[in-house]
Amino acid sequence: MKGRHKRKPHAEVNLGFQIAPMIDVVFVIMLYFMVMAGAVQVENAHNTKLPGTVQVESSDTPMPDEIAIRIEDDGQVYLNDDPLDTPENKNLPELAVNLNQLRESSEASKSEVLVTIYANEQAKYERVVDVLDALSRAKITNVTFQAGAPE
Amino acid sequence: MAGGGGGGESGEPEFQIAPMIDVLLVLLIFFMSITSAEVLKVDKNIVLPVSPNAKKRDPEMTKHEIAVNVRWDVKQGKAFVNVDDREYPDLALLVPYFQEKKQKDPKVRAVIRGDKSLPAIDIQRVMNAVGEGGIADISFAASNK
Repeated sequence: MKGRHKRKPHAEVNLGFQIAPMIDVVFVIMLYFMVMAGAVQVENAHNTKLPGTVQVESSDTPMPDEIAIRIEDDGQVYLNDDPLDTPENKNLPELAVNLNQLRESSEASKSEVLVTIYANEQAKYERVVDVLDALSRAKITNVTFQAGAPE
Repeated sequence: MAGGGGGGESGEPEFQIAPMIDVLLVLLIFFMSITSAEVLKVDKNIVLPVSPNAKKRDPEMTKHEIAVNVRWDVKQGKAFVNVDDREYPDLALLVPYFQEKKQKDPKVRAVIRGDKSLPAIDIQRVMNAVGEGGIADISFAASNK
Protein backbone atom coordinates (compact mmCIF):
# COMPACT_ATOMS: atom_id res chain seq x y z
CA MET A 1 0.00 0.00 0.00
CA LYS A 2 2.88 2.31 0.66
CA GLY A 3 4.07 2.24 -2.89
CA ARG A 4 0.76 3.49 -4.21
CA HIS A 5 1.29 7.03 -3.10
CA LYS A 6 4.78 7.26 -4.43
CA ARG A 7 5.05 9.62 -7.32
CA LYS A 8 7.84 10.99 -9.30
CA PRO A 9 8.55 14.56 -8.38
CA HIS A 10 7.94 15.74 -11.91
CA ALA A 11 5.03 13.79 -13.27
CA GLU A 12 5.53 13.12 -16.93
CA VAL A 13 1.94 11.96 -17.34
CA ASN A 14 -0.19 14.77 -18.62
CA LEU A 15 -3.35 14.85 -16.53
CA GLY A 16 -4.80 17.83 -18.38
CA PHE A 17 -7.88 17.83 -20.52
CA GLN A 18 -7.42 15.54 -23.50
CA ILE A 19 -8.99 17.08 -26.53
CA ALA A 20 -8.31 14.36 -29.10
CA PRO A 21 -10.29 11.51 -27.49
CA MET A 22 -13.13 13.91 -26.80
CA ILE A 23 -13.34 14.79 -30.47
CA ASP A 24 -13.32 11.08 -31.30
CA VAL A 25 -16.22 10.43 -29.00
CA VAL A 26 -18.20 13.46 -30.16
CA PHE A 27 -17.61 12.40 -33.73
CA VAL A 28 -18.90 8.89 -33.11
CA ILE A 29 -21.99 10.21 -31.33
CA MET A 30 -22.58 12.64 -34.18
CA LEU A 31 -22.27 9.87 -36.77
CA TYR A 32 -24.78 7.81 -34.82
CA PHE A 33 -27.34 10.61 -34.79
CA MET A 34 -26.68 11.40 -38.45
CA VAL A 35 -27.44 7.81 -39.42
CA MET A 36 -30.51 7.72 -37.19
CA ALA A 37 -31.80 10.97 -38.67
CA GLY A 38 -32.25 9.33 -42.05
CA ALA A 39 -34.48 6.61 -40.65
CA VAL A 40 -36.59 8.79 -38.41
CA GLN A 41 -40.33 8.26 -38.69
CA VAL A 42 -42.45 11.32 -38.21
CA GLU A 43 -45.96 10.97 -36.98
CA ASN A 44 -48.36 13.06 -39.03
CA ALA A 45 -52.07 13.51 -38.62
CA HIS A 46 -55.29 13.93 -40.59
CA ASN A 47 -57.50 16.36 -38.73
CA THR A 48 -61.24 16.23 -38.95
CA LYS A 49 -64.37 17.11 -37.05
CA LEU A 50 -66.95 14.61 -35.94
CA PRO A 51 -70.30 14.84 -37.72
CA GLY A 52 -73.11 16.66 -36.02
CA THR A 53 -70.77 18.85 -34.02
CA VAL A 54 -69.62 21.30 -36.68
CA GLN A 55 -71.47 24.55 -36.23
CA VAL A 56 -73.17 26.05 -39.24
CA GLU A 57 -72.27 29.72 -39.54
CA SER A 58 -75.42 30.94 -41.21
CA SER A 59 -78.44 29.42 -42.85
CA ASP A 60 -78.05 31.22 -46.18
CA THR A 61 -74.80 29.49 -47.12
CA PRO A 62 -75.32 27.19 -50.09
CA MET A 63 -75.70 23.52 -49.34
CA PRO A 64 -72.43 21.70 -49.85
CA ASP A 65 -72.04 19.20 -52.67
CA GLU A 66 -72.13 15.86 -50.97
CA ILE A 67 -69.83 13.14 -52.13
CA ALA A 68 -70.00 9.64 -50.72
CA ILE A 69 -66.96 7.40 -50.66
CA ARG A 70 -67.63 3.78 -49.81
CA ILE A 71 -64.91 1.38 -48.74
CA GLU A 72 -65.69 -2.31 -49.13
CA ASP A 73 -64.26 -5.13 -47.03
CA ASP A 74 -61.84 -6.14 -49.78
CA GLY A 75 -60.50 -2.58 -50.05
CA GLN A 76 -62.39 -1.55 -53.18
CA VAL A 77 -63.22 2.14 -53.09
CA TYR A 78 -66.44 3.52 -54.60
CA LEU A 79 -66.94 7.20 -55.32
CA ASN A 80 -70.70 7.82 -55.51
CA ASP A 81 -71.16 4.10 -56.39
CA ASP A 82 -68.51 4.14 -59.15
CA PRO A 83 -65.67 1.72 -58.45
CA LEU A 84 -62.30 3.45 -58.70
CA ASP A 85 -58.80 1.99 -58.58
CA THR A 86 -58.02 -1.57 -57.61
CA PRO A 87 -58.04 -2.76 -54.00
CA GLU A 88 -54.27 -3.30 -54.25
CA ASN A 89 -53.52 0.23 -55.36
CA LYS A 90 -52.47 2.14 -52.29
CA ASN A 91 -52.12 5.54 -53.94
CA LEU A 92 -55.68 5.72 -55.29
CA PRO A 93 -54.76 7.97 -58.25
CA GLU A 94 -58.15 7.76 -59.98
CA LEU A 95 -59.94 8.72 -56.77
CA ALA A 96 -57.61 11.68 -56.20
CA VAL A 97 -58.05 12.94 -59.78
CA ASN A 98 -61.84 12.61 -59.63
CA LEU A 99 -62.02 14.32 -56.26
CA ASN A 100 -59.83 17.12 -57.52
CA GLN A 101 -62.15 17.66 -60.48
CA LEU A 102 -65.20 17.64 -58.22
CA ARG A 103 -63.60 20.18 -55.92
CA GLU A 104 -62.67 22.45 -58.82
CA SER A 105 -66.18 22.33 -60.27
CA SER A 106 -67.64 23.04 -56.83
CA GLU A 107 -65.30 25.97 -56.36
CA ALA A 108 -66.42 27.30 -59.75
CA SER A 109 -70.03 27.24 -58.60
CA LYS A 110 -69.00 28.70 -55.22
CA SER A 111 -70.18 25.80 -53.15
CA GLU A 112 -68.24 23.55 -50.84
CA VAL A 113 -67.55 19.88 -51.10
CA LEU A 114 -68.53 17.62 -48.25
CA VAL A 115 -67.15 14.13 -48.35
CA THR A 116 -68.69 11.39 -46.26
CA ILE A 117 -66.75 8.18 -45.85
CA TYR A 118 -68.79 5.03 -45.47
CA ALA A 119 -66.41 2.31 -44.38
CA ASN A 120 -67.67 -1.23 -44.17
CA GLU A 121 -67.28 -2.90 -40.79
CA GLN A 122 -64.48 -5.20 -41.83
CA ALA A 123 -62.72 -2.76 -44.16
CA LYS A 124 -59.13 -2.17 -43.12
CA TYR A 125 -58.38 1.03 -41.26
CA GLU A 126 -55.31 1.37 -43.48
CA ARG A 127 -57.64 1.74 -46.45
CA VAL A 128 -59.54 4.51 -44.66
CA VAL A 129 -56.26 6.35 -44.17
CA ASP A 130 -55.43 5.78 -47.87
CA VAL A 131 -58.70 7.51 -48.73
CA LEU A 132 -57.93 10.34 -46.30
CA ASP A 133 -54.53 10.65 -47.96
CA ALA A 134 -56.16 10.92 -51.40
CA LEU A 135 -58.54 13.53 -49.99
CA SER A 136 -55.71 15.64 -48.65
CA ARG A 137 -53.99 15.35 -52.06
CA ALA A 138 -57.19 16.66 -53.63
CA LYS A 139 -57.13 19.46 -51.01
CA ILE A 140 -60.51 18.52 -49.57
CA THR A 141 -60.73 19.22 -45.86
CA ASN A 142 -64.44 18.84 -45.28
CA VAL A 143 -64.62 15.16 -44.37
CA THR A 144 -67.04 13.32 -42.15
CA PHE A 145 -67.61 9.69 -41.29
CA GLN A 146 -70.70 7.61 -41.34
CA ALA A 147 -70.86 5.05 -38.59
CA GLY A 148 -71.60 1.73 -40.22
CA ALA A 149 -72.19 1.05 -43.90
CA PRO A 150 -75.19 2.59 -45.66
CA GLU A 151 -78.10 0.18 -45.78
CA MET B 1 -4.48 36.78 -48.71
CA ALA B 2 -1.47 36.90 -46.48
CA GLY B 3 -2.19 36.07 -42.89
CA GLY B 4 -5.44 34.27 -43.67
CA GLY B 5 -6.26 31.10 -41.79
CA GLY B 6 -4.31 32.06 -38.72
CA GLY B 7 -0.96 30.60 -37.99
CA GLY B 8 1.91 30.46 -35.68
CA GLU B 9 4.81 32.79 -35.57
CA SER B 10 6.53 30.82 -38.24
CA GLY B 11 3.71 31.72 -40.66
CA GLU B 12 2.69 28.10 -41.07
CA PRO B 13 -1.09 27.55 -40.88
CA GLU B 14 -2.10 25.84 -37.67
CA PHE B 15 -5.02 23.53 -37.08
CA GLN B 16 -7.47 25.32 -34.79
CA ILE B 17 -9.08 22.79 -32.49
CA ALA B 18 -11.47 25.04 -30.52
CA PRO B 19 -13.67 26.25 -33.42
CA MET B 20 -13.79 22.73 -34.75
CA ILE B 21 -15.21 21.50 -31.45
CA ASP B 22 -17.78 24.29 -31.54
CA VAL B 23 -18.93 23.28 -34.99
CA LEU B 24 -18.98 19.59 -34.05
CA LEU B 25 -21.08 20.24 -30.97
CA VAL B 26 -23.57 22.35 -32.91
CA LEU B 27 -23.91 19.60 -35.51
CA LEU B 28 -24.30 17.04 -32.75
CA ILE B 29 -27.08 19.02 -31.08
CA PHE B 30 -28.81 19.49 -34.45
CA PHE B 31 -28.88 15.80 -35.22
CA MET B 32 -29.88 14.94 -31.67
CA SER B 33 -32.84 17.28 -31.82
CA ILE B 34 -34.19 15.98 -35.11
CA THR B 35 -33.81 12.35 -34.08
CA SER B 36 -35.67 12.68 -30.83
CA ALA B 37 -38.81 14.24 -32.30
CA GLU B 38 -41.44 14.96 -29.73
CA VAL B 39 -43.28 11.84 -28.82
CA LEU B 40 -46.80 11.62 -27.60
CA LYS B 41 -47.76 8.74 -25.31
CA VAL B 42 -46.94 6.22 -27.95
CA ASP B 43 -47.70 2.53 -28.02
CA LYS B 44 -44.79 0.77 -29.68
CA ASN B 45 -46.95 -2.23 -30.63
CA ILE B 46 -48.97 -0.16 -33.04
CA VAL B 47 -47.97 -0.09 -36.69
CA LEU B 48 -49.37 3.17 -37.98
CA PRO B 49 -50.78 3.33 -41.50
CA VAL B 50 -48.60 5.18 -43.97
CA SER B 51 -49.86 8.45 -45.35
CA PRO B 52 -47.25 10.70 -47.01
CA ASN B 53 -49.69 13.59 -47.51
CA ALA B 54 -50.87 13.88 -43.93
CA LYS B 55 -50.27 17.21 -42.26
CA LYS B 56 -47.56 17.80 -39.74
CA ARG B 57 -48.84 17.96 -36.22
CA ASP B 58 -49.39 21.48 -34.98
CA PRO B 59 -46.90 22.04 -32.14
CA GLU B 60 -49.32 24.44 -30.46
CA MET B 61 -51.94 21.72 -30.19
CA THR B 62 -49.58 19.21 -28.59
CA LYS B 63 -50.58 20.12 -25.06
CA HIS B 64 -54.28 19.76 -25.94
CA GLU B 65 -53.90 16.30 -27.42
CA ILE B 66 -55.00 13.00 -25.93
CA ALA B 67 -53.49 9.93 -27.56
CA VAL B 68 -56.01 7.15 -28.05
CA ASN B 69 -53.98 4.07 -28.87
CA VAL B 70 -55.94 1.34 -30.61
CA ARG B 71 -53.92 -1.86 -30.89
CA TRP B 72 -54.96 -4.86 -32.93
CA ASP B 73 -54.21 -8.27 -31.49
CA VAL B 74 -53.92 -10.68 -34.41
CA LYS B 75 -54.04 -13.82 -32.26
CA GLN B 76 -57.17 -12.85 -30.36
CA GLY B 77 -58.65 -10.94 -33.28
CA LYS B 78 -59.54 -8.13 -30.93
CA ALA B 79 -58.83 -4.44 -30.59
CA PHE B 80 -57.40 -2.98 -27.39
CA VAL B 81 -57.87 0.65 -26.55
CA ASN B 82 -55.25 2.31 -24.40
CA VAL B 83 -55.54 5.89 -23.20
CA ASP B 84 -52.98 7.44 -20.85
CA ASP B 85 -51.36 4.06 -20.13
CA ARG B 86 -54.68 2.50 -19.13
CA GLU B 87 -56.53 -0.19 -20.99
CA TYR B 88 -60.22 0.30 -21.57
CA PRO B 89 -61.89 -3.02 -22.44
CA ASP B 90 -65.28 -1.31 -22.26
CA LEU B 91 -65.39 1.85 -24.34
CA ALA B 92 -68.29 3.20 -22.30
CA LEU B 93 -65.77 3.81 -19.50
CA LEU B 94 -63.89 6.18 -21.77
CA VAL B 95 -66.84 8.54 -22.17
CA PRO B 96 -66.65 10.09 -18.67
CA TYR B 97 -62.87 10.37 -19.06
CA PHE B 98 -63.27 12.34 -22.29
CA GLN B 99 -66.02 14.46 -20.77
CA GLU B 100 -63.75 15.38 -17.89
CA LYS B 101 -60.92 16.25 -20.30
CA LYS B 102 -63.26 18.37 -22.39
CA GLN B 103 -64.42 20.27 -19.32
CA LYS B 104 -60.88 20.98 -18.23
CA ASP B 105 -59.70 21.99 -21.68
CA PRO B 106 -62.27 22.99 -24.32
CA LYS B 107 -59.64 22.90 -27.06
CA VAL B 108 -58.83 19.25 -26.46
CA ARG B 109 -58.16 17.04 -29.46
CA ALA B 110 -58.27 13.25 -29.58
CA VAL B 111 -55.49 11.73 -31.64
CA ILE B 112 -56.54 8.27 -32.75
CA ARG B 113 -53.48 6.12 -33.19
CA GLY B 114 -54.88 3.03 -34.82
CA ASP B 115 -53.00 0.01 -36.06
CA LYS B 116 -53.17 -0.30 -39.82
CA SER B 117 -54.70 -3.78 -39.75
CA LEU B 118 -57.65 -2.75 -37.58
CA PRO B 119 -61.13 -3.22 -39.00
CA ALA B 120 -62.86 0.11 -39.57
CA ILE B 121 -65.63 -0.79 -37.12
CA ASP B 122 -63.23 -0.59 -34.16
CA ILE B 123 -62.12 2.87 -35.18
CA GLN B 124 -65.76 3.86 -35.55
CA ARG B 125 -66.48 2.60 -32.04
CA VAL B 126 -63.61 4.71 -30.70
CA MET B 127 -64.85 7.73 -32.68
CA ASN B 128 -68.27 7.13 -31.18
CA ALA B 129 -66.84 7.15 -27.65
CA VAL B 130 -64.89 10.33 -28.43
CA GLY B 131 -68.04 11.96 -29.80
CA GLU B 132 -70.10 10.91 -26.80
CA GLY B 133 -67.44 12.41 -24.60
CA GLY B 134 -68.11 15.73 -26.29
CA ILE B 135 -64.84 15.98 -28.18
CA ALA B 136 -65.45 17.03 -31.78
CA ASP B 137 -61.87 17.65 -32.81
CA ILE B 138 -60.20 14.39 -33.77
CA SER B 139 -57.21 13.49 -35.82
CA PHE B 140 -55.90 10.24 -37.22
CA ALA B 141 -52.24 9.55 -36.73
CA ALA B 142 -50.27 8.22 -39.68
CA SER B 143 -46.60 7.76 -40.28
CA ASN B 144 -44.74 9.42 -43.14
CA LYS B 145 -43.04 6.26 -44.36
